[in-house]
Amino acid sequence: MLERSGYEVATSRDGAQGLRRVEELAPDLVLVDLKMPGISGFDVIERVRALDPSIVTVVITGYATLDSAVEAMQKGAYDFIPKPFTPDELRRIARRGIEKRKLVLEAEALRREKEMLKGQFASILSHELKAPLDAVQQNLMWITEELAGALTEVQRTRLERMKSRISEMLGLIRTWRRAIFTDLSTIKGGFGPIRISTVIHKAIENVQVYATRKDVDVVTAPSDPQGEVVGDEGTLVEALANIIGNAVKYSHAGSQVLVEAEEEAGSLLVRVSDSGVGISEEELPLIFGDSKPSRDGTGGEKGSGLGLALTRRIVEIHGGTVFAGSKVGKGTTITITLPLLKTSTAGLQGSDGSQGTTSST
Amino acid sequence: MDEPRQLLIIDDDPDFVDGLRSILESAGYSVDVAYNPKAGFDALRAKRYDLLLLDILMGRGAEGVMVARKMRKDPELSKMPVLIITSLREQIAFLFPGQPVHPHLLPVDELMEKPVEPKILLERVGNLIEAAEKKKAESK
Repeated sequence: MLERSGYEVATSRDGAQGLRRVEELAPDLVLVDLKMPGISGFDVIERVRALDPSIVTVVITGYATLDSAVEAMQKGAYDFIPKPFTPDELRRIARRGIEKRKLVLEAEALRREKEMLKGQFASILSHELKAPLDAVQQNLMWITEELAGALTEVQRTRLERMKSRISEMLGLIRTWRRAIFTDLSTIKGGFGPIRISTVIHKAIENVQVYATRKDVDVVTAPSDPQGEVVGDEGTLVEALANIIGNAVKYSHAGSQVLVEAEEEAGSLLVRVSDSGVGISEEELPLIFGDSKPSRDGTGGEKGSGLGLALTRRIVEIHGGTVFAGSKVGKGTTITITLPLLKTSTAGLQGSDGSQGTTSST
Repeated sequence: MDEPRQLLIIDDDPDFVDGLRSILESAGYSVDVAYNPKAGFDALRAKRYDLLLLDILMGRGAEGVMVARKMRKDPELSKMPVLIITSLREQIAFLFPGQPVHPHLLPVDELMEKPVEPKILLERVGNLIEAAEKKKAESK
């Protein structure tokens, strides 16, 4: 019946053979009899779906009960045709099924194209945005030196402010870009043992200039933690620097941000505590999410709102977790937990229970 | 230092180049500039330089990588120290997935992200040239 309408048709006697044929032929439409020897028609529908969800399945029910048809549709069949049926009925249903498949494939192609365009757009846009800033910043950096003797203190400060505003913006572009379309899982290929003290020192170094400008003191415990984790140093430093940077952002002038590490039951905990503005209970569960507005810092600093989301992704790729506790007006503590590779041989870091106001979420 | 060291910048952003050039000239380097990969490669073949400062994202894509590939095939140019100065460090990671952020496009290269801190720039340039000259003296 169907071949006469110009379709290519292959047949199989049971479900197992049918599934093999589906794999070989990648058909547009599969007609499945619910009553077959071997694998049941329902299973065939499910497995075809798993193989390629765009393939349309139509169920032939010998005993045209509504129940079995409904069950088949729930398993992913597109339509059903009760036996006995006329050639016209079959052709109509086949034509409809194939049209449906065409639509599904078109939608899929469109979606993929949109994804690709989005990636390219982000790439082009970030370069177009960053290049002029690079040029301005490069010139500012040197002009400050060239004019060193001729500038008054006020003029020098203004140039410094211009530089730091531009570097904030450059930082935003970098974070935004990474968060949008870096496939972070690729860093797994370069994992190796890393000393957590190195990560802590480098992360602090990254935010030191900013902290000094805000008159916030970033302090560590007196002795370096000895523990090692397996991971990618660059991204871990970034993850921690985001947290410390955030702590500085919401700290008041003259206050401290404490960074400490501690080993606990096969895990390494890195804790960053501030005594800044804190986060409300409603906002707290959202801070590691991708879609939330950024709050301005205590110095009016803007942010992308993506820093902590990126941190969470980096930490999770390292098999760790990150959580935050906070009290409005008292401060925030953010803790990263990473699987410990090597226990320290020296004394453990003391955990000072009085630090911060942690209440895990 | 008797003769000033000869540097070449290949970068398509004239404003960025101006900033970079004034830093290098203040330190006594003689600086030539090419604003596209083709002019850059011609310059490399026409004159001997002590160091190349190479931008990666030029023109329609990562054309700086093309320059590096061509240099690698040339026995003389492949020994030349190169400082890669790129706007987007991760862009390089995209071009060479799964590799460390600094993929060593050339036997002797270093990577910096724009904008570059003047002090660090001069330090890197000085070190690269010094290392190359030492190597050359040893092989004689």
